[in-house]
Amino acid sequence: MPIEVILPKVDMDMETGTIEAWHVKEGDRVRQGDTIFEIGTNKAVMEVEAPATGAIRNIKAQIGVPISVGTPVAWIYLDGEAATTPSEPAAAAATVAAATSVSKTEAPAAPVIAAAASPSGLRATPLARRIARQNGLDLRTVGGTGPRGRIGEADVKRHMEQRPRCAAAQEARPATAPSATASGDRLQPFSAIRRIVANRLSESMRTAPHFYLTSEIEMSAARDLLGRLARRHERIGAPKPSLTVLIARVAARILRDHPVINASTEGEATRFHERIDIGIAMERDGDLVVPVLRDAGGMDIPAMAREFARLREGMAKRTLTPAELGGGTFTISNLGMYGVDSFTAIINPPQGAILAVGRTIDKPVGRGGEIVLRPMASFTLSSDHRIVDGVAAARFMVDLREALENPELLL
Amino acid sequence: MPSETLEAVREIRELSYAEAVREALGQAMEADERVFLFGEDVGVYGGAFGVSGDLVHRFGKERVIDTPISELGIAGAAVGAAITGMRPVLEIQFSDFVTLAMEQLVNQAAKIRFMFGGKASVPMVVRLPGGSGTGAAAQHSQSLEAWFAHVPGLKVLQPSTPHDAKGMLLAAIDDPNPVLIFEHKLLYKTKGHVPAEAYRVPIGKAAIRREGTDVTIVGSSIMARKAEAAAERLATEGISAEVIDLRSIRPIDFTTIAESVRKTHRLLVVYEGVKTMGIGAEISAMIAESEVFDFLDAPIIRLGGADAPIPYNPVLEKAAVPQEDDIVTAAANLVRRGEA
Repeated sequence: MPIEVILPKVDMDMETGTIEAWHVKEGDRVRQGDTIFEIGTNKAVMEVEAPATGAIRNIKAQIGVPISVGTPVAWIYLDGEAATTPSEPAAAAATVAAATSVSKTEAPAAPVIAAAASPSGLRATPLARRIARQNGLDLRTVGGTGPRGRIGEADVKRHMEQRPRCAAAQEARPATAPSATASGDRLQPFSAIRRIVANRLSESMRTAPHFYLTSEIEMSAARDLLGRLARRHERIGAPKPSLTVLIARVAARILRDHPVINASTEGEATRFHERIDIGIAMERDGDLVVPVLRDAGGMDIPAMAREFARLREGMAKRTLTPAELGGGTFTISNLGMYGVDSFTAIINPPQGAILAVGRTIDKPVGRGGEIVLRPMASFTLSSDHRIVDGVAAARFMVDLREALENPELLL
Repeated sequence: MPSETLEAVREIRELSYAEAVREALGQAMEADERVFLFGEDVGVYGGAFGVSGDLVHRFGKERVIDTPISELGIAGAAVGAAITGMRPVLEIQFSDFVTLAMEQLVNQAAKIRFMFGGKASVPMVVRLPGGSGTGAAAQHSQSLEAWFAHVPGLKVLQPSTPHDAKGMLLAAIDDPNPVLIFEHKLLYKTKGHVPAEAYRVPIGKAAIRREGTDVTIVGSSIMARKAEAAAERLATEGISAEVIDLRSIRPIDFTTIAESVRKTHRLLVVYEGVKTMGIGAEISAMIAESEVFDFLDAPIIRLGGADAPIPYNPVLEKAAVPQEDDIVTAAANLVRRGEA
């Protein structure tokens, strides 16, 4: 029997994925463990390995089309297995485009994408299921108006019109080829990651009413602490902590007292997270990725510095899993090292807030009636007003200032 | 007469269904001396429904033969004549009587070509007036076409218009295999455009009688005509029905049905034969098995004959088979409510 190659589930809440690129073509010989295709989830791009050694056949899945988890996308024929064995899965699938006439020897063609992910117990017409499948839509979110609540084509279409996000995501599929214009412009289709970033951030700006609170915070004490920590970490063999790590540590500590900032929107509800998972916005080859310091609330600074270094390295080597790149409860974006004074960040949905950090620079400030120079940094908290109110965000900023200006208070 | 005028006459010439069948018989007999007609009262009487008419006077008693009342005998004679090189066209006076000829049609005519590896073939045509609506009760009103569509080796046609009645009969006479043509008794008097020349309508190709986008209605014989009339009424209610006239139920033109359903997403199959185990079941299953399944937005609905012998009482007789009103109601419900 040929071995099925399915679209794997690489993330907890993954229901569909798209194949971003095939590394093999029809009939190629593959060895177990070879990379055969790349899939994109709503968080990352992953390579998928061949489950067996043999010839790859019946590659069915098209690039860029959302496919339900578990759907067979190709078959591997083991050595000695004829490509025309009766068990050949859906041999006629390639001809699916045209209705085929039925004769004694020719069975009707099977659908290209199996109905593997039909949510069971749900009443929906085959056409409704098909449209939902093609658009990566979860039929459970669609209300049916047909007999006994059956979902029909009209229900799915109405649902999609009400949620233009789906349509936008479809339109964001890459053009078939980059085309050059006479002026020498270059048209670069979105990479998988760029598409994910574009979709998620557009969604965030569209659905989350952002508001921004900025505080200028004196960094003298934090700097001193970082200096002392660097020496101590050297002694204990931990990586030198960066300002980002210190800010993450401080944020993780004070988020305990601000559950509404460590929260997410979920439909028409607020989810208050038990754990504090802090995402750190990073750049890789021009792409924005956000690895997560998992359970940051329970880490001391050396542990956090080690985890931060591990994520950085994993990101550079592209060994991070989608699980390590998603699911944060709060995000920090630090552009200070690029000389940015201050900025506002877009919330990483469905999180409720993101902290944008500018550079630390000596500024004249008033202290005891005198103008003195102090290292100052600008912190801007973007909050989703659906779940965070101004005063709640302001209280967080008060605690952030206090913690950064007097870090020993946290100990 | 100038040729343009001739063309014009051809264009507007109308014949009844019965006249069209007769014209096809006459043209076939003129063109090929192997063609002959036989059956009960097809000669001097002109046929129980007047189809053969004056053919006996034009071609003589040798070629238009009145037979004894023995369907098995006629069918056996036709099979023998066909194997030995003739082109017999046999009329079963009422299609109901074909039960008496089953052995020859099913066990002999259908199988001989296969059993002799193609060395013998059976180029015979059986014409069978069928269907209800004439007050002829249970033994003279049946629609038995599905019985024969179940038999490999037989072709089963159900032309619905005078044009197709002529063209399909000529195609059937040409065909080297046994072909059964079910002619609906209520259609014999219907009129339509029929070209004068001897033309052929291909066997196994359905006709799209009306294009539409909301629901596909498939029927054959008189049901295709009723579906057309129903579609006209549905259009006034804002429902766009596509009507497919099967014309041939074996071989069946599945491609045309599938393409239509792919477009309309809804299928209503209408047939006069008993609904249970009938043609509608076959068409429904073909669609459900095919990749077109994924384009269905509602259950497939069958409208078929009642599970009962055709009653004599005219009210009950009408109620026993799908009528135009039934088609309109079923199609409208299918489109609006997603059920029949």
